[in-house]
Amino acid sequence: MNRRRFGLMIPAAAGAPLPAQVARPQRAAGRIPDDPRLARFNPLKRILVFDDFDEGINGWAELVSNHNGNLDDLRPVLRDMRPAQLSNCTFFDTGTHGSMSGTYALKLATRARQFHTAASIKRLTFQKPGPVQFEMYFTFKAEQTFDAPDPNWDGNFTPSERNFGEMTISNDVCMGEDGPRFICALRYRNATPEGELVQKWMYKTSLHTTTKMDRAGQTLQSVDYHVREVNDWKEIPGGRQPLCFNETSTKINWHYLRWVFDTAKQRNTELQVNDLVMDLRGIPVPSYGQGYRSLNHLLNFLLDVRANRAVRNFLFVDSAVISVDW
Amino acid sequence: MVRRSFTAVLEKNSTFTEAFQTEPYETAWASEARWFVRVQEMSGTGARLRATAQISPDGLFWCDEGTAALEMTGVGLSSQALREFGHWLRLRVELSGEAPKVKVTIYLALKE
Repeated sequence: MNRRRFGLMIPAAAGAPLPAQVARPQRAAGRIPDDPRLARFNPLKRILVFDDFDEGINGWAELVSNHNGNLDDLRPVLRDMRPAQLSNCTFFDTGTHGSMSGTYALKLATRARQFHTAASIKRLTFQKPGPVQFEMYFTFKAEQTFDAPDPNWDGNFTPSERNFGEMTISNDVCMGEDGPRFICALRYRNATPEGELVQKWMYKTSLHTTTKMDRAGQTLQSVDYHVREVNDWKEIPGGRQPLCFNETSTKINWHYLRWVFDTAKQRNTELQVNDLVMDLRGIPVPSYGQGYRSLNHLLNFLLDVRANRAVRNFLFVDSAVISVDW
Repeated sequence: MVRRSFTAVLEKNSTFTEAFQTEPYETAWASEARWFVRVQEMSGTGARLRATAQISPDGLFWCDEGTAALEMTGVGLSSQALREFGHWLRLRVELSGEAPKVKVTIYLALKE
């Protein structure tokens, strides 16, 4: 933990008076070295975003395809990505779990439909090219089902774990007025549609089909918005990682994720999830060959969750930090 | 601090020919809710849409909230306000008439 990184400029807080009985730590004027809400992150030099979902939705909007005012024109794969929710993580057996800190977490929820995807997007632009880091504390669940109980249940492994499909983090970056534009996408594939556990991190090998490409007749499928064909995913070397589902559909354990990509080099740098650090510098990142207008300096971040079966899948995020080195 | 607010679009230009429920939506943080149902198209002899607010303790098991249902017989926008609804909301929508068919957009406007 590099504590020098926690010298955060918080002008409003710096000038606020503290009660006399509260010991004020020694610090340079205008700097707070030990904000406990940030001490669990490892940000780069400048924090652009600190999203604590006890404070609200923080700009994580529903992803939607391009349209010209007529929502009938929305592409099927991107017409129903669901609005994010502020969840207090309530479950039917024990009530409110709460988030990692506080009460609320950002929640993405699919429909109870195979391959349905819920996606939220945070839309920024960048000042300078270079390393960008996204960090979050997350957890994931499949909705409780009430099917006939499995007589072979061993009291440890829950069949519910087989009902969680995939979650993906991705970006959308356009370097200038005419591009280049590229998209990095990293997916945790938990289980196949048959319920077989995979538990591996993947990267995509083809481009997300844009609305412009769709209108040129280039759409091949409508069940995975990230790729041209559904099998255009490869395993990240060393990317096998069973996460902590914790035996039931109602116990949530928070995981740390840190993803770095470099807009100057137009590639991923690394992905850390708890103790697993994956070097991604050698992984190819597809780039669009054609220009896109009105995307100058685009810097978008996306989170999504995709159901492998007809069971709602949930992705919860307690908090997130986006930082850069400019 | 100004009051937090959020609008969720739960259905977008969606076409239905039979009863449905909107997806469960978590509302624990909000003290005010207002449904907006926009009927963009409606066809079928005597077609009628009836939308009833439902509440749930867990997003799994549901009951009617108790406020009178919204009823619509043609194209237009209608609204219903709710308070003290707990942590989850959805709309239970029934269609009646001969071969009813509706295209709707449904909003849930929430405020702290």
